Amino acid sequence: MSLAWFLQNLLNGLSIGSVYAVFALGYTLVFSILGIINFAHGAVFTLGAYLTYVLAVGEFGLNGLLAGVTLPFKLPFVLALLAGAVLSGLAGVAVERMAFRPLRKRGADALLALVSSLGVALILVNLIQYLFGAEIYSFPPDVLGDLPPAMLFQIGEEFVAVRTIQAVLFAVSMLMLILLVWFIHGTKQGKALRATAENPDTASLLGISVDRFILGTFFISGLLGGMSGTLIGVSFGLAGPYFGVAYGLKTLAFLPPELSSFKEAVAYALLFVVLLARPQGLLGKNAEEKV
Amino acid sequence: MEDFVARYGFLFVVILQQALLGLSLYFPLMTGQLSLASIGFYSLGGYVAAIMGTHPELAPLREALGFFMYPLEWLVALAASMLLGLALGYPALRLRGIYLALATIAFVQILGVVVLNLPIAGGAIGIFGIPQPFEDRLAYVWFFGPLLALTVFFLWRLERSGTGRLFFSIREDELAARAMGVNVTGRKVQAFVLGCALAGVVGAMSAPLLNTWNARQGTFDAAVACLAYVLIGGARSKWGALLGAALLVSLPEVLRPLKDSRMILNGLVLVLACVYMPQGIAGLFARRKS
Repeated sequence: MSLAWFLQNLLNGLSIGSVYAVFALGYTLVFSILGIINFAHGAVFTLGAYLTYVLAVGEFGLNGLLAGVTLPFKLPFVLALLAGAVLSGLAGVAVERMAFRPLRKRGADALLALVSSLGVALILVNLIQYLFGAEIYSFPPDVLGDLPPAMLFQIGEEFVAVRTIQAVLFAVSMLMLILLVWFIHGTKQGKALRATAENPDTASLLGISVDRFILGTFFISGLLGGMSGTLIGVSFGLAGPYFGVAYGLKTLAFLPPELSSFKEAVAYALLFVVLLARPQGLLGKNAEEKV
Repeated sequence: MEDFVARYGFLFVVILQQALLGLSLYFPLMTGQLSLASIGFYSLGGYVAAIMGTHPELAPLREALGFFMYPLEWLVALAASMLLGLALGYPALRLRGIYLALATIAFVQILGVVVLNLPIAGGAIGIFGIPQPFEDRLAYVWFFGPLLALTVFFLWRLERSGTGRLFFSIREDELAARAMGVNVTGRKVQAFVLGCALAGVVGAMSAPLLNTWNARQGTFDAAVACLAYVLIGGARSKWGALLGAALLVSLPEVLRPLKDSRMILNGLVLVLACVYMPQGIAGLFARRKS
């Protein structure tokens, strides 16, 4: 275990971990306001990756209903990333309208939103498969322009490689995190959002339009989801319409290689222990439950 | 008629099997606890049956017992599931709501990775060539049918017993139940273990049906499917799991003529069912009664 080996793994972990953080924040935002997990988030993640691909590359794959269709334009990657993210945000809004608002209006059991959001996920994933086909899409290597694929740093006698895409992943994710923290803690809208999360009834008495803020939360959540989908897609390729669902569940643990086949078990065991020991989360404050 | 049975008979067997899995979620739901652990115990029970049915060292036992090897497998799966259920239930049932659901999903994933890496469970290929008691797949009705009847009868008796009423009291108001002196944790674990035991036996019965058993039997998707049976069917009635499984298992088959777009419509039905039947299918009947 050398210093270079340690640094290499640390960098790999930071890069992919920051994208997971952006993706997970999409879940967290909705959860903090509605107290329910949005199962369609993984599907929105996938949708974002596909939309960015089509906008950046300008053509569809060989299968699916839209096979062979070409767009009259190709956007530069940065614009395609933003447009894909905004469209995913709109998809998030559609998810709210279809799966969450009707249930809220009818005062249904909150758990039912698990199933309805799952239904929307099923619709989205199969719509993607219907339109884009089930094949693997991978971004062309020059999608980021004429950047070198990686940089090498020498430490002692060994090398640490930083892929350009890893640096992009980390930079974009950090930028999104900073923007989000600024929005939630630094603006009046963010304050209203926090009030809605704290107590929707009181917030609406204070003149905050709760429904609009819930809709806005789903937009931001979809935006973050679509953007992280694109980032993962650029890095690893789009392995078919179901790939977001796998990422939605997966947590990565860092382990010695001899235990690597058990790494997911260890990650989930950690999750289990954290849930038992600190159900409010590692850094969360304990909310007092009123009777 | 024969044509109908040939085409849809197996679907009926699968509906019975999936309804049983849905019912295994109904047990913890009687105390208001949403657990997704059932599919893990289903996988465990299947592995017990698969190993007992194929392990070379158990060959003399299989020859001596003949058909009675299958009931023995069910009993071993039942015992293993109850033991593991107890060990998991005591720590996990300190959690409630979505946190319990997450913890049980974590358990399912851990179990999935562990069986993938255990040599006796056959790794990624799993175990195949599991002996089958019947030549005709439809004959498995004789496994699942009686078990379903027994389970529904057991639930019917349970709901009218003191224990059942204690379960419901926790579902309706946990704090009030605790104030009345109900051993809330004990009762929750009791209901949870009953569900685990049922799922384990269903797994042990399913291994011969599928002929092969691997880590794919206990996935997140399957766990959510079971939850959907219960919620679409109606989480407050034992008939809910049955109705939900019947609807959701047959839906993709009924929609088959739509080819590629059938799963889109399947998702749409899920959403509409949630919106227009928040109490589930069983809830529609309950309202009419009152």
